[in-house]
Amino acid sequence: MLSRFFARVGLLVLPVIALLTAGCSEADLKVRQSTFDHKGPVARLQYEVFMDSVYLVTVLFAVVGGLLVYAVIRFRARPGDENKPAIVEDGHGNPLTEILLIVASIGALVFLAIPTLKGIWYTDDVPEELVPAARLSAWYPRAEGGVENYAEAVKDQVLEVDVVGKQWWFRFEYPQLGLTNEGRRSVPNELVIPRGVPVRINLRSEDVIHSFWIPKVAGKVDLMPGRRNHMWIQADEAGHYYGQCAEFCGDSHAYMLFRVEVVEPAEFTRWVSAQKKDAAEPVAGSRAAEGKALFAAKTCAMCHNVGGHFGAGAFGPDLTHVASRKSLAGAWLDNRDPAAQQAAVAAAGGNTEASAPVDHAVQKANLIKWIGSSGVLHGDGEATRDVKPGNRMHYYKMFNVAGLNETRTQLTAAELDALAEYLLTLK
Amino acid sequence: MSHDHHHAPVASRYDLAPERSDIGLIRPDRFTGLRDWLTTVDHKKIGVLYGAFAMFFFLVGGVEALAIRTQLARPENDFVTARMYNQLFTMHGTTMIFLGVMPLSAAFFNFLVPLQIGARDVAFPRLNAFSLWTFVFGAFILNASWLFEFAHLAGWFKSFDWYNALVYRDFAPANGWFSYAPLSGTFGQADAALRAPRFTGVGTDFWIIGIQILGIASLAASFNFICTILNMRAKGMTMMRLPAFTWMTLVTSFLIILAFPAITVALIQLMFDRQFGANFFNPTAGGQPILWQHLFWIFGHPEVYILVLPAMGIVSEVLPTFAGKSLYGYPIVVFSGAVIGFLGFAVWSHHMFTTGLGPVPTAAFSLLTMAIAVPTGVKIFNWLGTIWGGRVRFTPPMVLSLGFIWMFMCGGFSGIMHAAAPADAQQQDSYFVIAHFHYVLLGGVLLGLMSGLYFWFPKIFGRMPKASVAYWASGLVILGFNLAFGPMHYLGLAGQPRRTHTYHAGFGWETWNFVATIGAFILGIGVFIAFANLVWTVFRGEKCASDPWDGRTLEWSLPSPVPEYNFARSPVIVCRDAFFVHKHGPHRIAYEQDGGEAGVHMPSQSWMPLLASCGFLLAGLGMPMSAMGVPHVGWVVIAGLGVLFIGIWLWALEGPGGYMLKTPVSPVSSAPAPAEASSAR
Repeated sequence: MLSRFFARVGLLVLPVIALLTAGCSEADLKVRQSTFDHKGPVARLQYEVFMDSVYLVTVLFAVVGGLLVYAVIRFRARPGDENKPAIVEDGHGNPLTEILLIVASIGALVFLAIPTLKGIWYTDDVPEELVPAARLSAWYPRAEGGVENYAEAVKDQVLEVDVVGKQWWFRFEYPQLGLTNEGRRSVPNELVIPRGVPVRINLRSEDVIHSFWIPKVAGKVDLMPGRRNHMWIQADEAGHYYGQCAEFCGDSHAYMLFRVEVVEPAEFTRWVSAQKKDAAEPVAGSRAAEGKALFAAKTCAMCHNVGGHFGAGAFGPDLTHVASRKSLAGAWLDNRDPAAQQAAVAAAGGNTEASAPVDHAVQKANLIKWIGSSGVLHGDGEATRDVKPGNRMHYYKMFNVAGLNETRTQLTAAELDALAEYLLTLK
Repeated sequence: MSHDHHHAPVASRYDLAPERSDIGLIRPDRFTGLRDWLTTVDHKKIGVLYGAFAMFFFLVGGVEALAIRTQLARPENDFVTARMYNQLFTMHGTTMIFLGVMPLSAAFFNFLVPLQIGARDVAFPRLNAFSLWTFVFGAFILNASWLFEFAHLAGWFKSFDWYNALVYRDFAPANGWFSYAPLSGTFGQADAALRAPRFTGVGTDFWIIGIQILGIASLAASFNFICTILNMRAKGMTMMRLPAFTWMTLVTSFLIILAFPAITVALIQLMFDRQFGANFFNPTAGGQPILWQHLFWIFGHPEVYILVLPAMGIVSEVLPTFAGKSLYGYPIVVFSGAVIGFLGFAVWSHHMFTTGLGPVPTAAFSLLTMAIAVPTGVKIFNWLGTIWGGRVRFTPPMVLSLGFIWMFMCGGFSGIMHAAAPADAQQQDSYFVIAHFHYVLLGGVLLGLMSGLYFWFPKIFGRMPKASVAYWASGLVILGFNLAFGPMHYLGLAGQPRRTHTYHAGFGWETWNFVATIGAFILGIGVFIAFANLVWTVFRGEKCASDPWDGRTLEWSLPSPVPEYNFARSPVIVCRDAFFVHKHGPHRIAYEQDGGEAGVHMPSQSWMPLLASCGFLLAGLGMPMSAMGVPHVGWVVIAGLGVLFIGIWLWALEGPGGYMLKTPVSPVSSAPAPAEASSAR
């Protein structure tokens, strides 16, 4: 009795799980990084291929699983079997059955192979038919107010973004538009792209392997050191998207997040112009001015660029417009008020791309938490319970600069506050 | 055979006069107790040792898994640090694959293959002992990294200069079981001491040398089984009469000897990168990190089949036994196993769909990966055909085998989803993949191996595990497993990446992660009960008949436990399922006129395999410690290599030895108890 009970329980578990999963609400399919809630052609195609595979295996599961359940119940041993001959006839297989099953299996796989092959080429690079409307000249004014936005030579190109992976943050560069790390104006962690326009993404890594993944917009492609990978993305709805590094890249891999702001093309061009502007000088004698001095004295400027103030830093994230960003520390810290953010999503009918604006009190607290916990306290390369263990903010040893060790003393609360005030002026 | 026998046949090896080997040492044939187990060359004892160590490491890997699930039970948990979490998932994967599943499969190979083919031992009994001890020491080296890590966390190293000079203080591996370069390798230019900057500390060195040594154990064992199966079959045991499990052992052994050289080379290159400033995988010096991935996965994918084919072999023995019907489509089941093994070498890049291979290779590997579903499907169809028209008896092994088919089928279905490369771009490195391979490797392989344990345990120990406990354990395992890994399909598609030690609230992952953690603990309890039931059975279980399941293959014709000479007289086979047909059908098993008073030849026990393996232990522990900068430990490495050399040298010089053992003349299962049982001291 017990045996039958458990045999049946064992066989029933899967359908139960399937039902439970099927019983999930629609909201479960629209969570921040849901691949079901596709918002662009690449993710849509990947979703459709996935659904083809789901249809296929559902049929296979029903047929094979059904036969298995039937066989186990129908052909179970019964009282009286012991009187029948022990050797059951016809036990060695039937060539025709085998061949038919193999042919049927191959046929089933062809059903999936066709969309798979089409999809592989479609997702590889911006499709030819989308290129004409995607050319920079088709949607981006070449010059405004006498200022050239991009060179004549690139006007027929699709917008390209260089994504550079580092432990543990992403750097975004727009070489056609003059936003590059070499030119000391790159964009860390918050990618901004125009809505409805295909964008070619060039993937580079400056240390280990990372992977670039915006689940609602496109599946992932790896950032391989020493290689030049690419992908293309297009988001069809404006909003605030969530992405994450998807290849294990060391201690703080879990903290290597990023955000994507999808904006209307016209707003995108305004954003680019704003990015090119230098930071304003803080009011003399203010806390911010004090913070600016500390930024140099505490060696922050060795790694971080602040356009118009400090130009040496090429290693760490560019901070010229740090105060304008909705997240901090590889997007692990969110600069928005959680309640306001929930309200924004609810107001948009559960659309997680809806976003509340930056809350400056939250932002300041985050800045203090982030700077105060990083490296200044733990200088020996240990994984700790930092905001981001192992982060390079305390990795001064690698520069091997004489005397740098001595300057890295713990920041006082007043100094942290001043630094945060300074960074908050970098809008 | 060239060696001579100085002694007349004896009734028991304890009756042997002390015999000196060719190098003048007394052969350890007359030992009992611990020294007997350390020097044994009996494939059955070696199989039991493999099984015991494998089950121990299953529990170790299980504890690591539960720590992982505890950390992930709620968002932004701080049960463990990021570093510790990374070490846990690295060691969990490595332990389960190399120290759990592979040795448990090896336990079955060892115990069963000679019995199933009608042989008295494996082809190279001392090499078999060497494989065992090399595995044990490789496993110890890998896990010794935990001891160093704990000592480091406890601060015991703080007074050592070498410790204070370390840049990276991670002692347990933290790169994942795949150890992708350059995270595991070097980055930048090497210094005068030929050390290049790197991202990780000596944990990686422990991992490299541990896997390398485990590979040697696997390779030696595989050559042994190939030779055994091809050369030592009983008369009439043609290849197409081999039991399906033995066939899968043969295919698996070929996979191991073809797949492990790739990882061996890759590990040596990685070691050279780290120790000597070579630049195989160093991108700043012209090396190619992608090369590591190709080398790793051209080993790693066949490795998946190395793990799963033995379990398929077990299921192919269990189902016919309890369906009372021969394996449906035997030739095609065997052939599909070989095709899976062959195609297994042609699909490695499906682990690399997101690395930017380009459309043509991606398409090729996509199609090949779909193609491998065909022979796998064929197996499932034929298992179904085996049940069809049979008389299914429910027993613990049968329930577990049916569980295997279900879980493996589900894992196969999500595998088809990955094969579609565009869909895989979303699934790769997400929890969907974790769900997929746990359905294959845990729901599939572990259930298959547990089925095998419950099936053959009465044969191994002559005692029957308690069925009621086994059912409860199986129910908990299957329920807990589905609760733990079923939701991960959703989590992956909801965008949760794997290998992340924590996650934010608000991404919609909280509920199912919590459910998965509960499932993991139910699963853990189930596995623990299943194993505890077995251990209890060894000592206290009810004694049972030698053929409790109405078995089909030759091992069931032997007494339980099996006497050390296996077959008192060598069987002569005329058909498949020889013992079942012997009992119920037209053909009797005939026996050759060997054995009896003239005795059968038994291999001598030896210390040399253990001695040689100890060389690996010393060298393997010494190398990471040397990388830590512990002074003078380089000499330990050299000493270890010396011990290895001396061990193998003496092994060669001592001569194979051997003695003649009398056997009782009646060879069938109703034979009287073996003679040595009464004369043992």
